[in-house]
Amino acid sequence: MTGFRLDKGGLIDRTTTLNFSFDGKVFTGFQGDTLASALIANNVHLMGRSFKYHRPRGVISAGSSEPNALVTLREGGRQEANTRATMVELYDGLAARSQNRWPSLNFDVGAVNSLASHMFVAGFYYKTFMWPKSFWEKIYEPLIRRAAGLGHASKEADPDKYEKAYAHCDLLIIGSGPTGLMAALTAARAGVRIILADESAALGGSLLNENEEIDSVSGLDWALAALSELRSLPNVTLMPRTTVFGWYDGNVFGAVERVNDHVAEPSPYEPRQRYTRIFARRAVMATGAEERPIVFGGNDVPGVMLASAMRTYANRYAAAAGKSIVVFTNNDSGKRTASDLRRAGVHVEAIIDSRKTAHLIVDVKGGKRVTGVELGNHRSIPCDAVAMSGGWSPIVNLMCHRGAKPLWNESIAGFVPPDVGSAFVAAGSAAGHMLLSECLADGARAGTMKGRVPAVPKCRDERFAVTPLWWVKESTGKAFVDYQNDATAKDLPLAAREGYRDIELAKRYTTAGMATDQGKLGNVNAIAILADATGRTMDQVGTTTFRPYYTPVSFGALAGPFVRHHFQPVRKTPLHDWAYELGATFVEAGLWMRSSWFPMDGEDWLAAATREVLATRSGVGICDVSTLGKIDVQGPDATEFLNRLYCNTFSTLAAGRARYGLMLREDGIVFDDGTTSRLAEDHFLMTTTTANAARVMAHMEFCHQAHWPDLDVQYVSVTEQWGQMAIAGPKARATLQKIVDDITLDDTSFPYLAARPVSILGGMQARLFRISFSGEHAYELAVPADYGSMVARAVMQAGQEFGITPYGVEALSIMRIEKGHVAGGELNGTTTAGDLGLGKMMSTKKDYVGRMMAQREGLQDPNRQCVVGIRPYDPKGKIRSGAHILNKGDAASMAADQGYISSVAWSPMLEMWVGLALVANGRSRHGEIVKLFDGIRNTLTYGVICDPVHYDRENIKLHA
Amino acid sequence: MPDLFIRVSPLSDIAIQGRFGADHGVPGVMFSLPAPSHMVTVIARKGKAKALAQALKNFDARWAGPDQYFVWGEPYETVSGKLKGLASCSDQSHGRVVIGIVGPHVRQVLAKGSPIDFHPAEFPVGKSALTQMAHVGVHVTRVGADAFEISVFRGFSESFWEWITEQAEEFGYQVT
Amino acid sequence: MLINCPHCGTRPIEEFTFNGDASPQRPQSQDMNAWYDYIYLRHNPKGRFDEYAHHSSGCRAWLVVTRDTQTHEVFAAVTAKDYARERGTP
Repeated sequence: MTGFRLDKGGLIDRTTTLNFSFDGKVFTGFQGDTLASALIANNVHLMGRSFKYHRPRGVISAGSSEPNALVTLREGGRQEANTRATMVELYDGLAARSQNRWPSLNFDVGAVNSLASHMFVAGFYYKTFMWPKSFWEKIYEPLIRRAAGLGHASKEADPDKYEKAYAHCDLLIIGSGPTGLMAALTAARAGVRIILADESAALGGSLLNENEEIDSVSGLDWALAALSELRSLPNVTLMPRTTVFGWYDGNVFGAVERVNDHVAEPSPYEPRQRYTRIFARRAVMATGAEERPIVFGGNDVPGVMLASAMRTYANRYAAAAGKSIVVFTNNDSGKRTASDLRRAGVHVEAIIDSRKTAHLIVDVKGGKRVTGVELGNHRSIPCDAVAMSGGWSPIVNLMCHRGAKPLWNESIAGFVPPDVGSAFVAAGSAAGHMLLSECLADGARAGTMKGRVPAVPKCRDERFAVTPLWWVKESTGKAFVDYQNDATAKDLPLAAREGYRDIELAKRYTTAGMATDQGKLGNVNAIAILADATGRTMDQVGTTTFRPYYTPVSFGALAGPFVRHHFQPVRKTPLHDWAYELGATFVEAGLWMRSSWFPMDGEDWLAAATREVLATRSGVGICDVSTLGKIDVQGPDATEFLNRLYCNTFSTLAAGRARYGLMLREDGIVFDDGTTSRLAEDHFLMTTTTANAARVMAHMEFCHQAHWPDLDVQYVSVTEQWGQMAIAGPKARATLQKIVDDITLDDTSFPYLAARPVSILGGMQARLFRISFSGEHAYELAVPADYGSMVARAVMQAGQEFGITPYGVEALSIMRIEKGHVAGGELNGTTTAGDLGLGKMMSTKKDYVGRMMAQREGLQDPNRQCVVGIRPYDPKGKIRSGAHILNKGDAASMAADQGYISSVAWSPMLEMWVGLALVANGRSRHGEIVKLFDGIRNTLTYGVICDPVHYDRENIKLHA
Repeated sequence: MPDLFIRVSPLSDIAIQGRFGADHGVPGVMFSLPAPSHMVTVIARKGKAKALAQALKNFDARWAGPDQYFVWGEPYETVSGKLKGLASCSDQSHGRVVIGIVGPHVRQVLAKGSPIDFHPAEFPVGKSALTQMAHVGVHVTRVGADAFEISVFRGFSESFWEWITEQAEEFGYQVT
Repeated sequence: MLINCPHCGTRPIEEFTFNGDASPQRPQSQDMNAWYDYIYLRHNPKGRFDEYAHHSSGCRAWLVVTRDTQTHEVFAAVTAKDYARERGTP
């Protein structure tokens, strides 16, 4: 043995040397190493500092339960904190740093905390930092955060890709040890679609770590043969490097696959990690069992580790944890470690088996590395590493994620999984069956979906017997229950004495079982010590709640690809290209990108919108209105359906005509509005507001299917089929006349509210509606979407002689406010038809959604806030949306509130600010001077209530 | 209606032909954009579901909801004329964009977006489904062992195209 | 949670939009008390519960999903159409 790398053996590739650095110092390891095994082989055991006392800490485990060896990997945007060195696959160029130390891991100022450890007892945060209260935010919290903690997240954007996926199988097998492999072989041979997932890079589970014998070959060879067979079968999906982290309703499992964490930099085409939701008809929990530490003095000194971990490092990684070992055990695992180590040529100085001797380890000597142990009889044994085994805990977590609690099993001294039904079963040591033969038999049983369970290969069983030893009470050194949180054995009786007897309370009070490892190693010991302190059994104390995630999952994996430009999909209108060519500024409206204004020569939005309004009102303008919801409604009962959906009547609408409609919610409040056109006797085209398009569709589906399933009506969204443009202004008719075929657009052939198919541009089938939101003589022209931009360009060309101007939603909004048309600010989910001045639309002759509740006294109250116009008292003054309205003599208070301004615009026509407001009893208050209180900007001005129609009250322009 | 006018697909500028993503071996999938054609939503009238299903045997009709179909390849006027009295028809030819996707890794690409099990035993050739991928509603039909056709609302097509092609990068993809 | 849509087969919950208790029926009468109950009165049962769910990212059918509010076990999903026809008018 040269150094601490064993001369032979292990599953490492000694021909591939890898360079890596830890805290800036360069080391070498081999392909197949983990960061932890490579450091051990380099005789580095000090890998971190503890959370509270900043004690030197080394690796405890060889797997995902590791509480101590947490390191920060990589630099810049790829920096990742709190990764477990035991799970990090070594690659060439890996850069790892220790955490929670300053200025260095070797010399850490924070370690003075350990000297004052009497202060840091359970609940010390609550006790110490109580007062003065003002100190909490500025002094205590930053202090605690700096002194106690884990690694730091990078503040740079992560340059790598993450993905999400779904997977389906008949049988999901979680864990690829002997149980999982046997289950997989059994199911796969029967043709069942299986997924075999394991958190490790190499499948095989404990068979990779242990000296076993199956079918007269080594456990390793048996596993490799099994895997090779599984790989050859089309119904098998193997998922290495995949942690199944949660079990959810419907037998859905959450899994994260570390696709590229084992390379320096992923290919730009591949994700770093992939989050997969696995839908499994059935699943097997073959997650194995976790070895427990023993709680004794100095059980955290670097060099003390789990017995199974120590033999894993020797067997799998050919790394010796020391030159001279002491084994401390309460079960047969200790003996197994001793024999494996001896076989590898490592000296075992002593085996302290609590079943055979009363003189247990009461302290471990050494600071940053074990130098020896002291026994209860004051005997000292020099050594440089300690292997400990406090028994085995089945890994029950997943099966407890939906609320069921595990049960205490005295014979194995461990919690075993609850029965959660046949869709998810535990097998092997995860079920508390600790012998290899039991694992294989269990696996075969769990892998049999139907028919007879096949025979399993013969194997050699290691003995398994355990006599609980939770805490060496005579310990002289600090005895840790929870390494990551620095919770000691004494903290639990203290918590119990202070009243925190419930395990959930004791957990939070002592912090045992918290942080990134969630007490994987320490919880059972903590429960046992609390049980002892309170005179209860293990079952009486019980476990804390198991929740996903089994091990930490990165935010990147949870977000998946839905970041940056994929955060939400973008929806573009058929006129997008046309608007883009004209330099439109776009605004997000829901998912839509709408042209908002069309700036020229450095105009700001207001200058542009003002110019667009003036041009439209004096000549002609064109605006993209494609985003309005369009629903094709057909069928013999289409009329009846619309009559029930709208508060006004549609049965009287003639074919070829459009009508404004108002929909209420069932509680009597206004839901949505829009024009609906009758294209034929049994065919309507409904339009909705942009914002409510999806909601209206869902509402129609609900009303039809849940209330009136026998109506013969069919409807579908055709929003995306049509590119629709408003052409408005005194020259709108002249412009359109140039592109329509065979029709004269006069008031006889195409009157106000006409809605008809037309042919344009020499043969294109389009739809033309004479409707107006701007208050101008206006049309909406709908064309099949793929022609949208082309037709918009043609309309621009036709209108060129009239100075046609494209306008966006800003100008649209200004014009509707000038005309007093209500929109989102007024249709805000609190207003009734009456509030909006549309009370007369409510039919008294038919039933419709919202009819009954609209008659409620509260909705009929004349003092309700209703829509009025509002202008500044000083015509040069400004009014602001959101300002509250008060009686002239009142000071601002909730009690004096009369309403608020809902919409505001600079009116290019009136050359002043105008708005709409919701004001108590507003319709009878036109002309009243009121106070306008803007609490956000803290301004108080005066305004005048007026008619909501600020411009062209007589609708002369509309009918021109 | 004869195509007197040139239809401009919203993907015409961004779906560039060529080989993208990982460049080893044969492309994992190939994307194609069939030339814009006809698509009509057909919904059975009350009591006519069976008669409609019978009548649709003469069409390329793809299930698109309860008693509802997308009829591909024939113009609205023809479809609505032939199905008069059986169904309500609405033209969607311009409202949806179709993307073809074929290749050995097609199921892996689709699995990154859709919760549907596309195993051939569960989702045979000819089957259609409505689902959601990357927050966009999609209609998907298996048209061959390794071939699917997906249609999405026109307005989402650009976003969806960018997303689904990115999901194929690891396998390498060809746009034809 | 998975819901077995009668039209689409098994789909995850993220394809659905929920709309609360399915048991209240839209009154046929003009009795305001019946209307107030229909609009506002909701029980919050522990256990079996009939709930409207819209397959909004699928076939767009409204369903009535029967599930256990405590265990999240889904017992059945039927179309709202069938549910409405089955129980008739109030």
